This record gives sequence, C-alpha cells and structure tokens, in this order.
Amino acid sequence: MSVSNQKPRLDRRAFLKTLGTAGATATFVAASAPGSAQAATAPSLSPDIAAGLTGGKWDKAVALSTAGPGGNLNWKPGDSIKFLPPEKIPRGKAADTLATLPKQKLLTIYERMQLSRKWETTFKDLFVGGKDGLYGSFHPYIGEEGIAAGVMSALNDDDYIASTHRGHGHLIAKGGDLNKMSAEIFFKETGYNKAYGGSMHITDMSKGIMGMNGIVGAGPYLAAGAALGAVVRGSKQVAVVFHGDGAANSPYFFSAVRSATNYKLPVIFVIENNFQMIGVSMATVTPTKYIADYVKGLDIPATPIDGNDVAAVYTMAKAAVDRARAGQGPSVIEAITFRWLDHSGFAGARVGVDGAAGLPYRSDEEVRAWMSRDPIKRYRTFLTERNLVTAGELDKIDADAQKAVDDSITFARNSKLPDPSTTALNVYANGPVAATQFFNRQGLAG
Amino acid sequence: MPIKPYAYAQLEGVAQEMRKDKNLCFYWEYGAPVATMPTGEIINIAKEFGTPRTSGGGWAIDETWIAGVAIGLAASGMPCICRFPAMAQIYPIEFIYNQAGKLRHMTGGQATMPLVIWVDGGGRTRGSAGQHTEAGYESLYTHLPGLKVVVPSNAYDAKGLMIAAIHDPDPVVYYDYPEVKSGVQPDVPDETYEVPIGKAVVRQQGTDVTLVSWAPATVDVMRALPGLKQAGVSVEYIDPRSLKPLDLDTILTSVKKTGRLLVVDHANWTNGFGSHIIAEVVQALPGIKARRISFPDAPGPGAGNMMAWARPDAPKIIDAAKQIMKI
Repeated sequence: MSVSNQKPRLDRRAFLKTLGTAGATATFVAASAPGSAQAATAPSLSPDIAAGLTGGKWDKAVALSTAGPGGNLNWKPGDSIKFLPPEKIPRGKAADTLATLPKQKLLTIYERMQLSRKWETTFKDLFVGGKDGLYGSFHPYIGEEGIAAGVMSALNDDDYIASTHRGHGHLIAKGGDLNKMSAEIFFKETGYNKAYGGSMHITDMSKGIMGMNGIVGAGPYLAAGAALGAVVRGSKQVAVVFHGDGAANSPYFFSAVRSATNYKLPVIFVIENNFQMIGVSMATVTPTKYIADYVKGLDIPATPIDGNDVAAVYTMAKAAVDRARAGQGPSVIEAITFRWLDHSGFAGARVGVDGAAGLPYRSDEEVRAWMSRDPIKRYRTFLTERNLVTAGELDKIDADAQKAVDDSITFARNSKLPDPSTTALNVYANGPVAATQFFNRQGLAG
Repeated sequence: MPIKPYAYAQLEGVAQEMRKDKNLCFYWEYGAPVATMPTGEIINIAKEFGTPRTSGGGWAIDETWIAGVAIGLAASGMPCICRFPAMAQIYPIEFIYNQAGKLRHMTGGQATMPLVIWVDGGGRTRGSAGQHTEAGYESLYTHLPGLKVVVPSNAYDAKGLMIAAIHDPDPVVYYDYPEVKSGVQPDVPDETYEVPIGKAVVRQQGTDVTLVSWAPATVDVMRALPGLKQAGVSVEYIDPRSLKPLDLDTILTSVKKTGRLLVVDHANWTNGFGSHIIAEVVQALPGIKARRISFPDAPGPGAGNMMAWARPDAPKIIDAAKQIMKI
C-alpha cells in the first residue's frame, strides 16, 4: 500500500489564506465588513452585525467561508487557536457602545467577572488542596466570564436565564449571593439549595434563574417556556439560555430554536463555544465552521462573536434583547471562548496556578494561547486605556472580591450540615415521601 | 346532574379553569381539543382561548418541545397542561424525568411545577399493533420521583381529576385511555369540582374477593361483574384512580375483610403497577391470598383473535376470581 497512514497536517497558512486574510485573528476579520478600514485592526464584532440585528441586514453581515475548519479541512483538536481573538478588545462600534455605559455599570461588569473568577479559583485551590474535604462535581467557568457578565448587563433584573452545569458565572453575573453559593458547595443547610443540589444545580429562582442544570441540552426548552410565559402575560420579559457547544449538538437545541422562531418567542440562545465537549474536542464532531451556521435556514440572527470581548458580547446581547423585547423573536449568539480547566474536577490543575495542563483532548499550546486572551485582563485594559476608570478603582474591586469570596468560605465552613431526613421533603410541595429504607418506615423529617 | 360525554366533561373542566386562571396554558400536538354535547353545546379550546395560551391549530410533532416548553412555563410559575399521544411518550419522558420530577427537590424547594402531563393512552385493541396498542405505561411514571399519576376511568373522574391536577403544585401525569370514554357514563356536575388525587373509590361492595383495577382494564371488569355475581363470587371492586399517591388504606381495609386480592390490569406482566399493589398489600397483611392477571410480556398484536387471547378480558377475570376462591 502506498497510501500513507500519516495524518494530514493542517497547513495554517493555507487555512488562513482560505479565510482571505492573515493573522491569528482571521476568523473575526472574516466576520467583519470586507474591505473596511477596521477589518485589519478591529477584527471583532462588525458594526454591520450589531446594526443588522435590528435592521434586518444580519444575513449579509456574516461573511462565512464555505471552506471553514470543519471536516473538509481536517480541523483537528488544537486548532481552536485559529479562532484566537486579538490581545486587546478591538476598537470599533462594540467597544464604543460599551464605553457609553454609566461608570457604575462598567464597574459592576468588572466586579462580577472578578467575583466569578476569584470564587472559582479559590474553590479550585480548596478542591485540589483537599483541606476541606470537598466532594461532588464542580464545573469551572474560568476563562469564559466575559460572556455571563456581558449578556447579564444587557438584561433587566426580572428577565429569565437558564443555565448549565457550568453555571456559577451566570449566577454571580445575575447577582447571586456568594455565601449561599459557597455553602451549597460545602453541602450546608444555608446553601442556595439547602444542600439538595450542590455545584451543578445552584439556583436562585427569585432572580429569574430557571436553574443550573445537570442535563446537557435541557436549558433551551426551559428558557423557551419562560419566554412563552412572558408572552402569555404580556410582560415583555425575555429569556436567555446559556449552553455550550455540546448542547448545541443535542436535538433539543435544534427543536427549541426552530419552534421559538416559529412562534417569535423572546428567547436568546447564547452558545458558549469553548471547543471542548466534556472530553471531546468540538473539532471532531462539528461539520460547519461556526455552530451558528446550524440555524442558517431560519430567518433569525445567528452570529459568531468573540466571547472573550465583553464589549462584543454586551453589544450583541443588547441588540438581541431589544429584538426579542420588540416581539421580533429569537437570536442565536455564538460566543467563542475557551475553558481553561478540565470539564469537571481539576485534572491537570495545581494550587495557585491558573489553567490545567496535559489533558488528552486539547493541546497545552492552545490553552496557553487562550489564557493570554483572558476576558478580564482585556476588559481591564479597555477600561484603563480609555480612562473610563482608574487602576486604583479596579484594584479595590479585586481586593474586595477576594475578601467577599474568603468571607463566603468562612460562612460555609461555619454553617450546619442539613438534617439528613430532609431528603424526604421537597419531592412534592407538601409532606415527605415515605422512608422506605427503614423496616418500620420511621425517621421521617418534619 | 346531566349526563355528559367523557371528552366533554374533561374539556369542560379544562375550559372552566382556563376561564378562571388567565395564566393557565394548554398545549397539544395535532388532536385539537374539541368536544360536543348531544344537545349541541361545543367546547373548542383553541377557538375560545387562542394563541399563545394554546397550540391554536396545533404544534409540531415534537413531543420533547411540548413537554420541555411546558416544564419551562411551569417552572416560571405558570400552570400548564401539555398533552401528547402515548406512542410517542418516551420522547418527552427525558424532560419529565430529569426536569419536571426533580427540579423542586434539587433546588431545595425553590422550584415549583404546576404541570399536567396529559398522556393520550393507547389500548389493547385490534388493528393497530405494536406501537399503538400499549397500555399500562402509567407505571413508568409511578417509578419516577416527584410525579403524581392519575388514571380516570369515567367522565366524572375525568373532569374531577383534571381539575385537581390543574390545581396541584406538583407535576401530575393524567393518563387518559380512549376505551373508557365510550359506553354508559355517570352524571357529571356542571360546576367545577375536584376528585382528590390519592383517593380510591369502592365501585362495588363485596365480601369474597377484593378486585383492584384501573383504566383501561375497568372496561373488562365492568363486563365481568354480572358474570361474577352469577358465579356466586361476591366481589369488592376498587378503582384506585390515582396510582401515585396510592390510597392503600382503602385497599387494605377491603382486603382485611375479604382476605383475597385480585389485581387486573392491561400492563405487561413484569413490573406493572399491579405488582406494586400486591407488594404493598402482602407486606401489610401477611397471609392473604393475592393474584394478578395482566397482559403478557409481549407487544400488542394486530390480529383481533390474537389480541383477544392476550387481553385479560371478562371471561379471564371471572375465571381468575373463581380460582382465587379455591386457594
């Protein structure tokens, strides 16, 4: 046999040439208005895309190559680096839009990103360090915080979100209480879910959160249902579902987008594409260049954006929210990002060190590359370079955030374990279920 | 109290509740909920309530969407009825199992789920075969935590259980069998009323055998009752109506009296809900004589004579009751 068994190597130059430009930011250049002066220097959200969301021009705004890094180009695990955004939040309409927000709001966005980062990083160190004997799953959002913060800043308090197993950042960005969150990780009775749920299900229903959820692909329906309820009530609320590239490959995503489009429901599908589906690289299962391409047959905005650029996320989310609130139906936003740590647990992670190395489904090179595009650092640079806030103000937020996190850990440590017999409660609204594990069915709570 | 067709009584309950509660929604697939009285009155849910509170002209054949979106509605505090045909019930069961039944518990009581899951049951009848002849799969739902399961067998219970299910803050599977909709029906009040979920009814008093059966096997039991009387077997016939929660007290009270329990259902044999009833009763009352007859562990056949052979029908019930008297 003369056929070589060697895997074809992806020719990066040829690949970039296919996209019609050069540089590691090619993807986002391709999504910008072709030939514009901004294309070379501001390869983020095209103003046309944002404007098009409400003006009906969206379909022309995304210049998709038919020869993307899908199966036809032998896209391999590790090639997420081809989607790497620029080091800084690019100048352009999205950044300018964000800069017009009130200072307090800009600071709140930063604060919530930092709270999320520091809370999860602290728990990573606790889990890896082993001192508190923590157990259960923990799906870190580290590296993706710009998406939650950007989208949530475009929502009203009474809008709904549906979250995922990787939802700590969503809860914090919607104003979640760190004490109750930490206590839930410690499985204490003071936790958000009274120790029934743990990390994967931490929820504050009072904040319009339909739940973090342990089933990949559950969120689209829950959000669509909440959105349908808002339409029935005429309340003008919208619902946002966050989920990953994995859930976008579930039939429920397709089903929900199709029917939500058919009924013009005020729901926004935010795909947090971190290229990693549990332990499978997205490259091995995705036939299109962008996941947003999946819904190209529907007449809705479906736009890939730089998910580590909080300005792009905010601007796109705001346009989608306005569209939904105006009764024009759903949008799909594919926020391209990268998860720094392993799916759940902390394989390859160390105390005091960011990121995780040596995981079989990704290369350390791409991890390092994406960590250099930290959404928090990029936002910090944006804020200070534009003189919107001072470094001192941000430093104070950093310090306060760490203190709030540390205080929440203390709160959790000092809280009580749940009465184990409360297991039998909250199955139904009223009364316990029978304690059938006992010979005489005794030991019931309340 | 007027006599009403089963479907009319049922939709009358739905319509009355939808008129009272403007947030109550009702979504179905292709079977438009319309019912008429012999005297000409019509209930047309889609026409009266329109969209978006109902499916209007129908929703896509996408049962997971119907159940999933209804669960989202209910979790956001909106009472909701979702309805789908039994042959496709496994599609949405993922969302019923993992979301509807579990959200309250895993959120520590934060989530509520005022949801009615209306399953249009099949039945052990000839001609359709396989996928369209199932019965007894209400037992699937009884096994899932967080759900309640009711199975009405006449027009009065159909309306009363529907209203109770709508009012219930927990997800209620309302299993609706076509076979019980024909034939003589009891009077149905015009006003709204609840048949309490978890309350059985003694349909006939007796002293020899306690016969427990729910829809759709109630059709065969009703046919068997005259024959049983003729054979000299005094049967106490109980329709639990609600399988979860189960009114075990009513059944135990009866079996204490008769000492014999015969359960008749249309489920497949293994792990049908009747097995659970027997397990409960023999644990509470050791020494009683208990038997169950059911559909075999086979899919429903298409041929009429094959179905008649497999169905636990009136002659087989009469025979079973006679046999249990001898042990």
